[in-house]
Amino acid sequence: MTAISLTRGDAGAAGAARPRRRRGRAALAAIGGGLAVLVPIVFLSTFITYSLGALSNSNPAATILGQDAATPAAVARLDNALGLNQPLVVQYWNWLAQAVHGNLGRSYFTQIPVSQSIAQRLPVDLSIAILALILAVFIGGTAGTVAAIRRGGWFDRGVTIVASAVTTLPAFVVGILLVVLFAVSAHVFPANGYVPPSAGLGPWLSHIFLPSLALSLAVSADIARQLRTSLVQVLEQNYIVGARVRGLPYRRILFRHALRNAAGPALVILGYDFPQVLAGAVAAEAVFSLPGLGQLLLPSAQTRDIPVVQGLLLVISVVVIVVNLVVNATLNWLYRTGGGVGA
Amino acid sequence: MRARSRVTGRNGPGSVLRLPSARIAVGVLVAIAFLAVFGSALAPQNPLAINSDALFQGPGSHHLLGTDYLGRDVLSRLMAGTRLSVLTALEAVGIGLVLGAIPGVATVFMGSSVDFAVNRVSDALMTLPYIFFAVAVTAALGNGLPQAMIPVGILLAPPFFRVTRAATLEHARAQYVEAAELLGASRLHVVRVHVLRKVLPNIAVTTATITAAALLAVSFLTFLSIGVQPPTPTWGGILSSDLAYLAQDPWAPFIPAALIAVTVGALNALADAFRDRAHAGRLVIADPIIRTDLSLEGADGDRQPQAAA
Repeated sequence: MTAISLTRGDAGAAGAARPRRRRGRAALAAIGGGLAVLVPIVFLSTFITYSLGALSNSNPAATILGQDAATPAAVARLDNALGLNQPLVVQYWNWLAQAVHGNLGRSYFTQIPVSQSIAQRLPVDLSIAILALILAVFIGGTAGTVAAIRRGGWFDRGVTIVASAVTTLPAFVVGILLVVLFAVSAHVFPANGYVPPSAGLGPWLSHIFLPSLALSLAVSADIARQLRTSLVQVLEQNYIVGARVRGLPYRRILFRHALRNAAGPALVILGYDFPQVLAGAVAAEAVFSLPGLGQLLLPSAQTRDIPVVQGLLLVISVVVIVVNLVVNATLNWLYRTGGGVGA
Repeated sequence: MRARSRVTGRNGPGSVLRLPSARIAVGVLVAIAFLAVFGSALAPQNPLAINSDALFQGPGSHHLLGTDYLGRDVLSRLMAGTRLSVLTALEAVGIGLVLGAIPGVATVFMGSSVDFAVNRVSDALMTLPYIFFAVAVTAALGNGLPQAMIPVGILLAPPFFRVTRAATLEHARAQYVEAAELLGASRLHVVRVHVLRKVLPNIAVTTATITAAALLAVSFLTFLSIGVQPPTPTWGGILSSDLAYLAQDPWAPFIPAALIAVTVGALNALADAFRDRAHAGRLVIADPIIRTDLSLEGADGDRQPQAAA
């Protein structure tokens, strides 16, 4: 409902004033599958990422060489070798071209390829974040659906209260509290550490379960609230009444008709929350002592290891963009097959 | 005249206070603001004073909320830590408000190419997680919480932008605006009298929500000890040292956690109250970050829900 009322307003204003341009843009968006939108976003966010490093008034060549060896001539030579004396846009373009080929440069200090350091640690955060999303869809979806069906009942009121309470705490605080409750007091789950899935599915899941749960609660609350609102609206629609009159089983009406039409806004929320889930994964790493991206980002930021920081930000933005493209594709699929999102 | 005052009485910002939840929320926020201003002066003990005879004490008459791993008074540290946490959160919100709300109103009146361009910038900013950026900026600009909150503010601008733009669009093409323009009203007059006043409730809702988000971001950054040197007390920093000594005092994190939760909860309750009163709720949008379906913008105007079967 909310999503539609905005886009509708959007289109109305643009359409009334400039129908020709809108039609051209619509065709463009249709042809390139949204390339007109996606390409500027990718370039803008990567450029912002890159220029952040260039903004830094540190002198990388001098940093690398160390105080004694940093004679002006040596600095100039290294600047030249690193391409730091070229205009920012040229540097950016070279960096991006290399990045597309998987080369993010090397750390100033350890000389380890940035892509290698990231590839080592990304699976930790991705497994936490993805499990968190799965948990959030499951917890939030169930809670929102039941609350909408039993509207006004005790479960509905309970979901509303719990959802408001959960969103007042940052994920890392929830994580700390979970550690206190389940690991320190009850010894149900390990309090810290990480084992890769190659060491066995059970140990892997038990190590990432608490961090994922901590990250998923706020998202679950958002999903539950959004899904409840749109599902309540959808369940009042004539076509639901019609389906009931035709004698379709309630379960089928709920899953085939109502949920499909109500899921859109909740899905959008998922796309919105994903960057925060990733960021939360970094904090969860600190709480649960996991060897993830945060353990790479924080020291690199402190030592001004710019290539590492730039590479990390690039990878994270790409992950966020990809997740949102998936969200978008799913939304479009829902629109096409389901008719509309409770609009 | 009488009718008008009744209308403002129902919808004006003051009427928000009639809701009990809003009154409690405002009370909590006033108390937090008071702590932010006078907290370090009113702290019962020196928040930095180390006392090796009184480590990990529970709540008692001398230390109302107990002591930490260096024997420092937790209550005093929380009170003294409020200012930095609140001020830096407000800094980010201020940046986001200015960078988001002004373009949100302006782009509506500036033609479709400007609108398209600013929208793409806003979309791009939304793909950048602000915590990561805050950490990265400390690499570029030096380690300081005020510096770290600049990118947080910039990356919090898109929500302001989207909400303001959506609300402005709705009012800018209302019939009374058209009438005013026909009567010769200047664009500035239209914006000031007809648009800004009606967009303000939506901005208020967003400001409350975003302030909550900024506070969470501050506690997050200080928890990662970004931008603060160790003895300086902050909400997140207290949590971080509590975490390190969970074995000695497992219940210590609950105190700073409760302070954060109460503050954020009050901001959320205030946002809800604004939303109820201003009927602005439907403009707090859930629009995808990346809108590849711009082609649908024109098409979905008359889309009705249909049964899948």
